Amino acid sequence: MTAIIAQLVISGLLLGGLYALVAFGLSLIYGVVRILNFAHGTLLAIGGIAASIIFAVYKLNPVLIAVVLVLVFLVFGYLMHIYLLDPLKKRNPFEATIGTVLVTVGLLLIISDLAAEIAGPTPKNIPLEFHAYIVGEVIIQRAELYILGGITLFTIALHLFLKKTWFGRAIRAVTQSPLGANICGIRSKQIHAQTVAVGCGIVAIAGVLWSLKFPVDPYGGFDLTVRAFTIIILGGIGNLVGALLAGLFLGLAEVFTSFLWASDWAPAVSIVLLLVILVVFPRGLASVRK
Amino acid sequence: MRTTLFAAALGAAALLGAIAPASAQRTDPCAGPITFGTTISATGTNSTLSDRWMKMTEIFEEEFNRMAGGVALSGCGGKKVPIKFVMYDDQSVPATAVSLYEKMATVDRVDLFVGPDWSTHGFPVSQIFEKYKTPSVMSNVATPRVYEQGFKYITGLAFHANTWSQNYFESLKNVNPQPKSVFWIVHDNLIAKTVYEIHKPIAEKQGIKTVGEEIFAPTTRDFTGIILKIRAAKPDIIYISSFDAVSVPLVQQMRQLRVTAMDVHHIMATGSLARQINLEGVTGELYWHEGIKGPYSDIALKVLERAEIKLFDYLWTGGRLDSYFVMIQAIEKVGKLDREAIATALRAPGAKWKRPGGEFEFDAGGLSKIVAFTHQIQNGAPVIIAPAAQATGTIKWPSPTWQ
Repeated sequence: MTAIIAQLVISGLLLGGLYALVAFGLSLIYGVVRILNFAHGTLLAIGGIAASIIFAVYKLNPVLIAVVLVLVFLVFGYLMHIYLLDPLKKRNPFEATIGTVLVTVGLLLIISDLAAEIAGPTPKNIPLEFHAYIVGEVIIQRAELYILGGITLFTIALHLFLKKTWFGRAIRAVTQSPLGANICGIRSKQIHAQTVAVGCGIVAIAGVLWSLKFPVDPYGGFDLTVRAFTIIILGGIGNLVGALLAGLFLGLAEVFTSFLWASDWAPAVSIVLLLVILVVFPRGLASVRK
Repeated sequence: MRTTLFAAALGAAALLGAIAPASAQRTDPCAGPITFGTTISATGTNSTLSDRWMKMTEIFEEEFNRMAGGVALSGCGGKKVPIKFVMYDDQSVPATAVSLYEKMATVDRVDLFVGPDWSTHGFPVSQIFEKYKTPSVMSNVATPRVYEQGFKYITGLAFHANTWSQNYFESLKNVNPQPKSVFWIVHDNLIAKTVYEIHKPIAEKQGIKTVGEEIFAPTTRDFTGIILKIRAAKPDIIYISSFDAVSVPLVQQMRQLRVTAMDVHHIMATGSLARQINLEGVTGELYWHEGIKGPYSDIALKVLERAEIKLFDYLWTGGRLDSYFVMIQAIEKVGKLDREAIATALRAPGAKWKRPGGEFEFDAGGLSKIVAFTHQIQNGAPVIIAPAAQATGTIKWPSPTWQ
């Protein structure tokens, strides 16, 4: 029984870590710019597909692939904000909110179909073969350790980046008061665009790590967006540590539900958690701590 | 005011004009071309199975008209008329398919329908065929319930869900050692669940005891829970009733977590799946295989070659092509374009129909009685292991890659 629990915990942590990574970008963008990016999961799928194609063609190290994709996604995110999202702010708040939903949903549909047209609709992954460590009856893939290590390092790096750098402080200032930040010389419009760019850069890293573990297809992203929404509500909007904990919690909950109850109920866990949290802890895990 | 009333009257007349002839047939039953209306899931979630079929259908139209010279109408003095397709992308959404078939019936005014694919689409779209009294040969709609609605104008090409794995379970009677237990892993989907429900009692009747069954949602990524249950149950056979794309992580994680069995059977062990994960030794079903020659196979193989489609990659392509061949045969049997007569001919009891994979009949509800070929992946390619008459190799038992 101990071996079974250990195997479930490893799988749950890995799944949850990947979920958290998906949620980081969404949380950052919503926390700062107040935009619900419905195309977020689809961007991850596109990142994963691009990574798998680059790997298949050039046999590049996934770390190098991630570096290339992050640069591309940074530019994409910046342009997306400048040309698609920022113009909506000229409208009244209601129209702006509806507009951002429509624009990001439209973007989701367009990039899904474009990716399917260019790369084909079949799922793709990075089929790297790694050795496995076998401890008693517990089997741990070396790839899983790399992914877990990558997620941990990235979370620490992102946390330090947001806490210790000028850009991180500027983001927090704009989040607290865009007007106050402007008075202090911070151009909130630029910070917003750069935040969307960073959010998209994070999703590129998530896409590469995701495709190392699971296949991705152009139409599979929206489901991940829903998971990411659950995580940021669970962890508290704009709270990265909360998102990490919520992601891990969700991953473990799904894996244990699948084993202890039934597999077809595992995806429903996120929805049930979402409802419970909204009713009992409307401000997320952070409100429990306070 | 008068202008507005006049415009409204004109609009109403135009609308009536557009609707009225929809259920009526064309005046000259011998004129060509004969138009086939169809939708294809060229985009959306099902497009992994059918994204090349629009191109394939265009090529089919061209090659059939060139190689066969068109449809022979005996009732029109043996005149041959070309076929023409009116095609739309249903985006893998059943509701979109319904509105497109409605459009083809009322706006494009096609003569006959071929398609749609998939049970999820076939269920709602079959209402349109009845409404407009226009026969259709659907493809890859295998759920028996679609054909139990008492409808007159539907027929469908697919392996019958009732006989999906018939050859597989027959072949198990001759293997040594005999399998005694099975674990069912089922994709939460209409056809996958139907196949599982039908075959579970068949296996038990054969002395293969069920030691576990799990249904998984299509969005499931992590299968550790299911795999640990399999390892605890130690089944001889693991039967995966699932579409190929959603089961990639399942088979991948089964390999990673060192699952063992005499055989892993996947009802859609396709080339697409094999490119992403190690499918060596897995058994599965094929609708048709390029190596099996039969009626129309010259046209079919030419079309597949030009469309760059391999049947192992696009498992359901055979069903789609067969729907075209069967509709053409139905018109030729009647000898002219007469929808009622064609619908009756398609459902005539005992009528034989030709396809590249051999001859077949429709059952009383209109679903083809086609039994799949069972194959095993050996050295990266499918080897037909049953039925014995068409086998291209023998099964490796127990499967060497799952030990």
